[in-house]
Amino acid sequence: MISAARSSPLLRAGVIGLYVLAVEWTRALLAHDSRFIAAGLLLGGMALGLAALGRPATRLGLGRSRFAVRVIGGLALGAVLLLPAAARSGALPLLPAGFAVVAIAVSIGEELAFRGALYAALDELGGAPLAVAGTTVLWTLAHALSHPPEFLGAVAAAGLLLGLWRWACKDLVAPIIGHVIADLAL
Amino acid sequence: MKRLAALAGAAIVYLIAAWLVAPGFYDGFGPQQPYSWTCPPPQAGANTKPSSGHADIPVRNGTTEAYSVYTADGQIVIGFLPDSFDATGKTMVHVDITPLDTCPQPQGITFVTNIYRITADAPLKKKSNVTLLYSNLKPHPDYIYRADNPSGPWAPISGSQQGQPYTMFGSTDKLGYFAAGYIASTPPPGVVTVGGGQTLPIIVAVLIVIVVLAGLPLAVMRRRQSGAGAADDEEDGS
Repeated sequence: MISAARSSPLLRAGVIGLYVLAVEWTRALLAHDSRFIAAGLLLGGMALGLAALGRPATRLGLGRSRFAVRVIGGLALGAVLLLPAAARSGALPLLPAGFAVVAIAVSIGEELAFRGALYAALDELGGAPLAVAGTTVLWTLAHALSHPPEFLGAVAAAGLLLGLWRWACKDLVAPIIGHVIADLAL
Repeated sequence: MKRLAALAGAAIVYLIAAWLVAPGFYDGFGPQQPYSWTCPPPQAGANTKPSSGHADIPVRNGTTEAYSVYTADGQIVIGFLPDSFDATGKTMVHVDITPLDTCPQPQGITFVTNIYRITADAPLKKKSNVTLLYSNLKPHPDYIYRADNPSGPWAPISGSQQGQPYTMFGSTDKLGYFAAGYIASTPPPGVVTVGGGQTLPIIVAVLIVIVVLAGLPLAVMRRRQSGAGAADDEEDGS
């Protein structure tokens, strides 16, 4: 199975897609029980990160070239993600401090899984358009159980923005930084 | 240039989509704000019925004392200043808070809390402060609304604003029905509404998914035509 997945781009993309969906939906179901929220998020973030295991960092968009530019790009992405909330006076809730570590774990795990491993697999299968479209659709589906339906439009649009950044800049560092900033604030 | 334009376009689409729902981009993994629902949303899990509240406010020398009345679950609190009621001839003013057992959604407003009825057996003379708790299972409200009747008309009470996390407060010079909510897009008659009636964000999500799905066959065809050797998106490495 593993060797088949390695040799077939379609199978590899399918396995990664199903894996990240299963992890995201499991952590969403665990979140219904307040005793398991933090543990579910932490383990979920780590499990998502596993999807990128064994892939060269450069293929995931994690190269170190132009690192300062990538960091600035991440700050810019974080600013765009937070802008609508920040513009609503007094409507910006802060994530409880105890959740900062799990917020970081989930943000990094999601980016490694969606814009990292899944993007790379879909890119090998059908090129950048398939990678951007596929990660956006799966990202939205992955949040269907954890988010009220009203939020899914913003979720899909955020996935599209992060996926397009991954394509346009061949970079995953900025989406990770932007995602962490947004999740720490909200 | 094409890539920059695509990024800018995506940023604009995101800003519009996120603006339609408060607080905006929200990853939904903060602890669920406990809330007792009259009509629980599907993702609420186990639910307990919302509580009612009652208080007897003493009248001394013809005036009522400062007093706070709240429900047992603390989801609504109303604070009265001294001499808030016209208590002529009374030794006590009785105040009741009762959650409405239905969830009407008036046109143009989406409520994100239960509707509460606050009554007193003496007329109000001064403004009182109303504080409503809300949940993070629904978009954040913009106002606390008041009406004389659950069927409306509903109007925002003065000074409605965010207070402590997941609370809104405002002041009112009349008792009646209270709920927190936000201005919703008004669906035309006969339109099927989803997710509490806030159709527009869902339409945006569906449109985004349709647009990206529509590009898939085209992308796969172009990929096949360009041949297997087109390694066009590799990281520059270093």
